[in-house]
Amino acid sequence: MDMVKAAKELLLQDRVDIFLGYHKLDGHQIPHGFTKARVADLDQLEISLNRYPLEKIACDLAQKDPTLKIGILARDCSQRALNLLYTWDQLNPENIETLTVNCCPSSLSTHGDCSYLKPKTTGEYKKAHGIDYNDSPKDFMAEHDSQDRLSRWMYEFQKCIKCYGCRNVCPVCFCKECSLEHPNLVEPGVLPAEVPIFHLIRATHMAGRCIDCGLCEDACPAHIPLRMLYREVNDAVSDIFGYVPGDHIEKSPFSIIGKTVELTPAPMDV
Amino acid sequence: MTLKRIAFVQELLKFMGLEGRLHLEWISSAEAQKYVDVVTKFTEKIRNMGPNPLRAINEMKKAG
Ligand code: SF4
Ligand code: SF4
Ligand code: SF4
Repeated sequence: MDMVKAAKELLLQDRVDIFLGYHKLDGHQIPHGFTKARVADLDQLEISLNRYPLEKIACDLAQKDPTLKIGILARDCSQRALNLLYTWDQLNPENIETLTVNCCPSSLSTHGDCSYLKPKTTGEYKKAHGIDYNDSPKDFMAEHDSQDRLSRWMYEFQKCIKCYGCRNVCPVCFCKECSLEHPNLVEPGVLPAEVPIFHLIRATHMAGRCIDCGLCEDACPAHIPLRMLYREVNDAVSDIFGYVPGDHIEKSPFSIIGKTVELTPAPMDV
Repeated sequence: MTLKRIAFVQELLKFMGLEGRLHLEWISSAEAQKYVDVVTKFTEKIRNMGPNPLRAINEMKKAG
């Protein structure tokens, strides 16, 4: 169905109070909330490769007014983010309507609207000293020994300028008080940040949460392969806990106390 | 849960090349000897591994 028409219908039939999509401002596609009062603005709705965490904006709006009905222009990753936000009670599924754009190309439709589909290039220096964006965590483990892995991650982490962009853009970073700003964990006002604590805090927090949208990696001005790091986190969570964040509306294993475990503690090899 | 959480952190540290410095063991208050053995063994292991390489990295950075 025609997206503009569908969005207009949502607003005109009062199924949503606001519709979150994109419009163009000064040549940039940026998020915009369309309303019934200015429904004609939807003719300017932009669907492009660019994406922002619209779900995060929805969370902010829902915090101000929990009864607000919100429409969202959604991609596959938005759907996963929404599932996760529902399970963490950040959004009420009854108040959310989505219109899904075709983001992942398939044999039926080769066109996809997502920046993630643009292949990332890794420069030669980064390949030699840091980490290739496109490496899979498993290959990375297999190709580099322990010392090499450490030096490569430290090369990457030391570039961090502590801009908090990765957290700010992340649809599932919704904490009121963020550990990354806790003075006992991350010393405020100090650059460069102590490695690797900043990134390890975030990596552990993404366990059971990260829905692999890749926005953090796209946003990072220091070109740190964050998505690849959280992919490893997700692999471990799926191996150990059998849980894939955002797949279903199912509580994270990190929020429940389990009963029986089949693991045995790892032996201490000397 | 603790077991799984620790297994997760161990995996993450290994991914970053920092394995071996985290160990989990169940010891009841009645197992004094086991406590001594585990702690001694772990201390020895860590001593053999040498200082945490991160310390050097962070200190080097502070010194500029
Ligand atoms: S890929 Fe990055 S931005 Fe997306 S959910 Fe995971 S941590 Fe957050
Ligand atoms: S980094 Fe951790 S504490 Fe901060 S917002 Fe994200 S999940 Fe919450
Ligand atoms: S976006 Fe990149 S540079 Fe900014 S805080 Fe996150 S890791 Fe550091």
